[in-house]
Amino acid sequence: MTSHRTYEVLRGSSGVVTGESDLWCTYAAVRTLSWLGRTADLPRPGEVAAFLASRQNADGGYAWSAGMNSDAWATYYCTQALADLPAEARGTARASSGDWVRSTAHPDGGYAMTPGQTPDVWATYYAVRVLVEIHGERPPAELTDWLGALQAADGGLAWSPAHAKDGTSDARACYYAVTAWHTATGGRGPLPWDRDRLVRWLRDRQGAGGGFTFQDGDATECLWATFRAVSALARLGESPRDPAGCVAWITARLRPGGSFTRWPGYPVPDVWAAFCGVGALRELGADPTGLADRVVAAVLSFRTEQGGFTYRAPELASDVLTTSAHLLSGRLADDAARTALRWTEGCVLPNEHGVMYMPGRGSEVRCTLWALAAGAFADDAAARTGIARWLTGAIQNPDGGFGYWEGRASDTVSTCAAAEILAATGSTDAAARRGIAGYLSSCERAPGQYANVPGGKPTLRATLQALRALRLTAGADRAAVEEALARHRVRGGGYGNDNHRVPDLLSTYEATLTADAFGIAWEAGHLSRFLDSVRTADGRFAWTPLMATSGGPLADCLGHRLELRLSSERCALPPLALS
Amino acid sequence: MQTLEPTDINARLVAVLEQRFGEAARALPGDADLADALPGFDSLAALEYVNAVEAAFGIEVDFVGDDVRYQFSTLDRTTEYVRERVEDQAA
Repeated sequence: MTSHRTYEVLRGSSGVVTGESDLWCTYAAVRTLSWLGRTADLPRPGEVAAFLASRQNADGGYAWSAGMNSDAWATYYCTQALADLPAEARGTARASSGDWVRSTAHPDGGYAMTPGQTPDVWATYYAVRVLVEIHGERPPAELTDWLGALQAADGGLAWSPAHAKDGTSDARACYYAVTAWHTATGGRGPLPWDRDRLVRWLRDRQGAGGGFTFQDGDATECLWATFRAVSALARLGESPRDPAGCVAWITARLRPGGSFTRWPGYPVPDVWAAFCGVGALRELGADPTGLADRVVAAVLSFRTEQGGFTYRAPELASDVLTTSAHLLSGRLADDAARTALRWTEGCVLPNEHGVMYMPGRGSEVRCTLWALAAGAFADDAAARTGIARWLTGAIQNPDGGFGYWEGRASDTVSTCAAAEILAATGSTDAAARRGIAGYLSSCERAPGQYANVPGGKPTLRATLQALRALRLTAGADRAAVEEALARHRVRGGGYGNDNHRVPDLLSTYEATLTADAFGIAWEAGHLSRFLDSVRTADGRFAWTPLMATSGGPLADCLGHRLELRLSSERCALPPLALS
Repeated sequence: MQTLEPTDINARLVAVLEQRFGEAARALPGDADLADALPGFDSLAALEYVNAVEAAFGIEVDFVGDDVRYQFSTLDRTTEYVRERVEDQAA
């Protein structure tokens, strides 16, 4: 377990700051203000609405950032936050997200994060709340059966019916499942679980300090787990064994004169802690009004110039992907690089050994890969072993694949990232490797052509990610790589993800990386012409030849690493995967 | 040789942009930068724009060789690009 002392490095900001708004942070901020009856304190609510609305795609769903595919997670956060804003600030009517959400439904009653993916309780919760609370619909009756199958042998609820068979229960899964049931039925339908065992499991998560943990065996009580556990109990009409102790533990998370922090020893008040602290007090029947001024002041200080929010004061809001990108680009001087790496290594939760995108968030597979590639934990064998165990022991799904974070259904990009991490950390777990190969076989849509999720359409990046992961685990056919590269090679330069006409930086990076991994020769002039087409006037890189401005630090990093690959030193490309 | 008047090309380009951007496209000056003038004209919208222009005029854009970010950055530039490509194809 990471010691409390480690978190002191997060008090300042030795990582790299983008100053950009984040969707989850924006949702948490708006909802916290709404719970406190203080959305009127937002100076320019129309800007928040514009930030949220900019995430909507033509299919009606919303994406984590502009240009990405819609997912249930982003669709829930955007629609709910928009609904919480003052009516006059929400802007013009937008396309309904209802059809898109229904496209994620499975016949068994669960919902997936994206169409074609396996259902999980995160996605099911988001979909049900959007359908019921935003669109006034009633989910199909099969939902109750799917939710009922989440109860594990220990009485708690798991991420999916398949997870439940292995007995992995989590306070978040309990909250999402119970709230989905409560939302769909108004709390009046028959409870699809053994009530006594479920309530006992939830109450058993309360620790000696008064706060809760996510899972059996977790050592550190956490405000996020506390909020989810007391919320699940409240929807069941129950309370913790020691409600007064729980309230005292929550209020002890307040900084003197300031807002909430996440767990004992964590020094930084952030937007999620505010969200969880206020939310948990409401669920426990403790009026948070007396804390409103200090919490609102903190939350409003997290606003960015983009109109949304980040997790703390924007000038200090570093994130792991941006920091890793700067490190991989060599854009930091030696001293700054060392402190940035130490900051990155501090982005590990007490009970999870992977690296978080932002401190205080859950550990994420892709961020962990970027951090390791940037040099994090290079000299810390114990931490690297812990990461490998976190992957194979906690994150790997029953289907053998990996999702973005714990409990998320599997996808090819995360599974590839996990395979790369296991290789980098020297893991020799044969069962984990067999699982990876098994999951990827479910994504093979045509011979040698892979999709990001089992029911998705094949793309170049998913194909290359699958073949790289297979090379590291069960073996892969070099000819399949050659065929994929030939299918997606753009004549003028670069590679396209969906066809062979529109090249993009991410696909071209993955194509070059995979060709190198399989010992396949490529033409330097072809790559060089592509880089010329995405290089901006200031020497940075756009994601596609269509854009005149940099795609941001991640695009700059990938473009620069391709330039280094073309240089006389032929610097190897880090094995990165992003989408 | 097939020719298209710039005003015809411009009108069809505006119609293409109108489908996504509505009123904002109708009032667009010919020299306005699309990314600045049209809210939401991001990389995805730009790609859809190029694809729609290809379909509307029966041309094929070379995304690497044609400096697409310049040619498709304003209505006037796109008009000139389309006129030349249509003439090239007809020649």
